[in-house]
Amino acid sequence: MANRGSNRSRLLWVSLLVTSLFIITLDLRGVSLLTSLRSGTQSVIAPFERLATRAFSPVEDFFSELSNLGRSRAKIEKLEEENQELKNQVIFNQETLAQLESLKGVLDLAGKARYKTVSARVISRGGTGTFSETIVLDIGSDSGVRRDMTVVAASGLVGVVKSTTSSSSIVLLMNDPSFRIGVRVAGKQDMGILLGQGDDNYSLQMLSATSAISVGDVLLARGSSGDKPFVPGVPVGSISYVENTVGQLTREGKVNGFVDLNSLSVVSVVLAAVAGDPGDALVPTAPRPAPTATVFVTPSPTPKE
Amino acid sequence: MEINRLPKVLLVFLSLFLIQEALINQFDFLIAGFSLYLAFFMAWVIQDQRNSAVVTGFIAGFILDLSPTIEAPFGLWTLVLTALSYLLASNVRAALDAQLSPLVMLSVAVLASSSALILFLLFGAILGQEVGSATYLVRSISGNALWSALLSPLYIPLVIKLYRATLTARQR
Repeated sequence: MANRGSNRSRLLWVSLLVTSLFIITLDLRGVSLLTSLRSGTQSVIAPFERLATRAFSPVEDFFSELSNLGRSRAKIEKLEEENQELKNQVIFNQETLAQLESLKGVLDLAGKARYKTVSARVISRGGTGTFSETIVLDIGSDSGVRRDMTVVAASGLVGVVKSTTSSSSIVLLMNDPSFRIGVRVAGKQDMGILLGQGDDNYSLQMLSATSAISVGDVLLARGSSGDKPFVPGVPVGSISYVENTVGQLTREGKVNGFVDLNSLSVVSVVLAAVAGDPGDALVPTAPRPAPTATVFVTPSPTPKE
Repeated sequence: MEINRLPKVLLVFLSLFLIQEALINQFDFLIAGFSLYLAFFMAWVIQDQRNSAVVTGFIAGFILDLSPTIEAPFGLWTLVLTALSYLLASNVRAALDAQLSPLVMLSVAVLASSSALILFLLFGAILGQEVGSATYLVRSISGNALWSALLSPLYIPLVIKLYRATLTARQR
């Protein structure tokens, strides 16, 4: 009897495995029903994500407050309540200021290159189980956002729009392992491909073995045909390491991205590059050293007695 | 699995999926991230009978595949969770005591969710997905294991209660 039950569950298991493989095959063959299922889910989840963003934005404070548990005193409860209200207001103000700052930065960048942009708030990130680096924005096709549009932050490239619903869009971040972008070295014509690695480091493969690249060189997006998925001229990162590849077909290196992808709050989606390629106009300028005052002291001769 | 238990299981995992996507993904965890969905699923399945476990694995995997941020083909999580649920319910469960202690459930949740992530990566790589650098993978898997262990006092009692609530009168 037990053996029969075991056989039955094994049969069920195998048939469900075969069904899974069938679903994978359908997806790989491009059956649109499965793609629609995912975008439908995004439409359902987006309002909840927005709600959660609003409710949990001061969450760091919540965790730091947890350390005070057990030390609460009844007599200061009222004061604590008032204090908390004020703190929340300060946190809200700080957060708004930080978002304003990012927005100002990204508008500066878009203004310099004359990109037509639409700004958005980040409402969620891709989860652990996905192994893909993504963010969710609070704007979608209603605001003119379409698949394959470039997304930028104040310091440079963030990623590319992967899919949209009417009120939200998913952006594939530039550190995703499947992310590839054609780049050129600022001030030169050397070209290469930047590859996402999943973390903060990027891999660079130049197209020619004779490319003269060195540490500190700034990389800019080369741009794509019709400006999709990448508009030209967006700062991508700077070379941090050049590999010794004597005798190989290409030169390789490591790159540090300009944008901290872990702390994005406001970004802009580039709807169109009105003025075409901005060239090297967006290369970040190195901070100017503050002038040092030099004081020359001439000793006065000591009077002789 | 009995038919009248199915809607309850479906509801539990759909709600959990919504919590994971809309809420847990908002938190900036120090090391990598935390998949409550996976840890919850593993702690659930270890309590289940073989047939129920396999069906639950299929349902949970299908729901996880709905995640719009996934780059992998649709059905990959269904395959991984169906495969793993059978192995857990038949091989691992048989080696454990009838009464599961919270410590055993914690160990199963941590080890099995890490195995699920590794299997997902392996099958993904076979299907031609980019998997990223070794440091990224190690950080993601170990970070998830760490948070699954640290937050277990919060979710394991909930798993036990919800699991019992979905049982039919005959199963109780």
